[in-house]
Amino acid sequence: MNENEISLTHLTHLKRNETAEIISVLGGTNANKRLSDLGLIHGTKVKLLRKAPYKGPIEIQFRSTRLILGYGLASKIQVKKSL
Amino acid sequence: MKSSRTSPQITIALVGQANVGKSVIFNFLTGMHQHIGNWPGKTVEKAKGTLFFDGYTIDVIDLPGIYSLATFSIEELITRQFILEQKPDFIIQVVDATHLERNLLLTLQLLELEVPMVLALNQADLLPKHGITLDYLKLSSILNIPVVPTEAIYGKGIDDVLKKGLTLITAPQRATLLNYGQEVEQEISTLTAALTPLNLPYPNRWLAIKLLEKDKEVKEIINHEAIRQETQNAISRLEKIHGHGCEIIIAAERCQAVYHVTTKVTTISSGQKPTLSDKIDNVICNKFFGYPILIGITAFLLCFVFIVGNMTSTFLESFFPLIHSCYYHWLGNHFLTHLGWAGIESLLGILTLVIPYIAPFYFMLYLLENSGYLSRAAFLTDNLMHKLGIHGKAFVPLLLGYGCNVNGCLACRIMETYRERLITAVLATSVPCSAVTIIILGLVGKYMGLWWVLGLYFGNFLFVLALGKLLNKTLPGKSVELIMVMPNYHFPHLKTALIQTWFKAKEFFVLAGPIIIIVGIIIQALYLSGILNVMISFLKPITVNWLGLPETVGILLIFGILRKELILILLATLLGNTDFSNVLSLPQMLTLTVVSMLYIPCISTMVAFQKEFGWKKMLVLSAGKIAFALLIGGIIAKIMIL
Repeated sequence: MNENEISLTHLTHLKRNETAEIISVLGGTNANKRLSDLGLIHGTKVKLLRKAPYKGPIEIQFRSTRLILGYGLASKIQVKKSL
Repeated sequence: MKSSRTSPQITIALVGQANVGKSVIFNFLTGMHQHIGNWPGKTVEKAKGTLFFDGYTIDVIDLPGIYSLATFSIEELITRQFILEQKPDFIIQVVDATHLERNLLLTLQLLELEVPMVLALNQADLLPKHGITLDYLKLSSILNIPVVPTEAIYGKGIDDVLKKGLTLITAPQRATLLNYGQEVEQEISTLTAALTPLNLPYPNRWLAIKLLEKDKEVKEIINHEAIRQETQNAISRLEKIHGHGCEIIIAAERCQAVYHVTTKVTTISSGQKPTLSDKIDNVICNKFFGYPILIGITAFLLCFVFIVGNMTSTFLESFFPLIHSCYYHWLGNHFLTHLGWAGIESLLGILTLVIPYIAPFYFMLYLLENSGYLSRAAFLTDNLMHKLGIHGKAFVPLLLGYGCNVNGCLACRIMETYRERLITAVLATSVPCSAVTIIILGLVGKYMGLWWVLGLYFGNFLFVLALGKLLNKTLPGKSVELIMVMPNYHFPHLKTALIQTWFKAKEFFVLAGPIIIIVGIIIQALYLSGILNVMISFLKPITVNWLGLPETVGILLIFGILRKELILILLATLLGNTDFSNVLSLPQMLTLTVVSMLYIPCISTMVAFQKEFGWKKMLVLSAGKIAFALLIGGIIAKIMIL
């Protein structure tokens, strides 16, 4: 796989059932801390399960955890998608 | 023979993340021997119960459901403080076996508090369904703490958890603590060494880790210049090496360690099929089906509560005249007995008019909550709530408000910040509760038709939206984003739901009962002394001139502060029959209903609101609502006359 095929994007831009790896969370210390307490840190592989319509929250899965994130926070989570 | 008084008394605590079956275990352990109060100075529930086991008298504390021991929420702070300061004889962490990895993140942090601990591996029976095999003995030997598989809803394994816990008291076991990797460990041991001479009543290693995690509470506890400097140096060294914030480095190490432990003890069979939960969610959370289902479930819940409540209430009220005549027959008919009767009437009012609605409402809500549906509702409504400065979790308090504003107000505790709690509480006290529904149906529904009723509900919904937007704009601070774990669907446990309902009803009774009774007596005294009549004529400019209502309605609105359904009940009493069209014209009915709906939260709600947010906010809320209700009521009266 070549370097160019790896694309950086945000969690909210993933489609249903797409998987990606977390690069960074730009959501402030509190949000970051809460996410890491749940096991969501840089390097975690996540799968997008569903999005609520009109910029609603998104549901992701990582390992055995299913998590709901508000749109605002999800849009601050940078992910790396392998094509 | 030894009496039970001399049997050794110990304290244990239940800890765990949300939705792991902790409350089922707590109810199994303590049954009806429990009481729910608040933590001193905090508005977080504290459930405590007693059980007798193996010659011990055991006090069980149910600590709030949490995800970690960082002090992000009040719940986490309370759990941490309780374990560190009260030093329970041992703690039981209830773990969801099907989500071991996430649960172990908390386990590792709990072990750092250096209290004896047993792991209750709950829902172990569901593992095969998820295609997971779990070697719990291996887990036990890795962590060096007892691990016991349990099936809480059948009561399996719980005795064993207690037995293992009791052996920890006589034969302490040193748990394996997490190793954070060479660089972090080095800083931890330097800080631990620096902390030791201070002789603080907390584990030094834990303090050191928390300092590196930039924990505000711990920083304040230590308050030592040299250590602060040393911590700062350690943090900048680590951040330089890793390129991340120190708290993230530590969290990442924890995740890594947990990942290793999990892979050592579990094997997941490949090719997992989508679970039943996934399939249900494809319908329930679907953007087309989700919302009609949500509205359907909400409507069903409200109808259920209304029908069951109405039936129970009518049945209980049928004893009213009998009690009334017995009372006056035995005690005679004079000033004091009238006062006494007012108190009894208020008491009976709570039992016959309020509890019959609260109990079925809570029961249904616990069923919905335990089944996992409320989290789906939060997902679906998050978007709308965001516009009001709150998030999806606020769905629960708002839904509760439709049953009883008091409960809606109390349920705001699930929101994370003060700002969100306040907005949610104000909105939850602005939705029509079951008592208001009685007025709406009894006046507008009966004489003007169902469309007017729906119109009123819709109008109120718009009012709540506008109020939320206004609060979001005016209150200082920013709204918090939703972060919520989606639980799997469970079949709700009926017995636990019933016990929880019982304690909720009791809590409400203890909270609001005395005040309702006292106010009932005061209003009766005002009535008997003639002061009430003076007040009515004093209110005449408002009731008659502005709202266009008959003069006596003044009494109704004053009594309505006590309990809103009294407005309708007293109207029937004053009238001698229930044909309200004799005294009120249709515009007057609409005006009275709208004013009753908006004008003030009832006294019980005001008490609950005051306990959460203080006198000032409560008075502002009440005054604001009265002014708004009179404004809208007056406008409606003027328009309807045209």
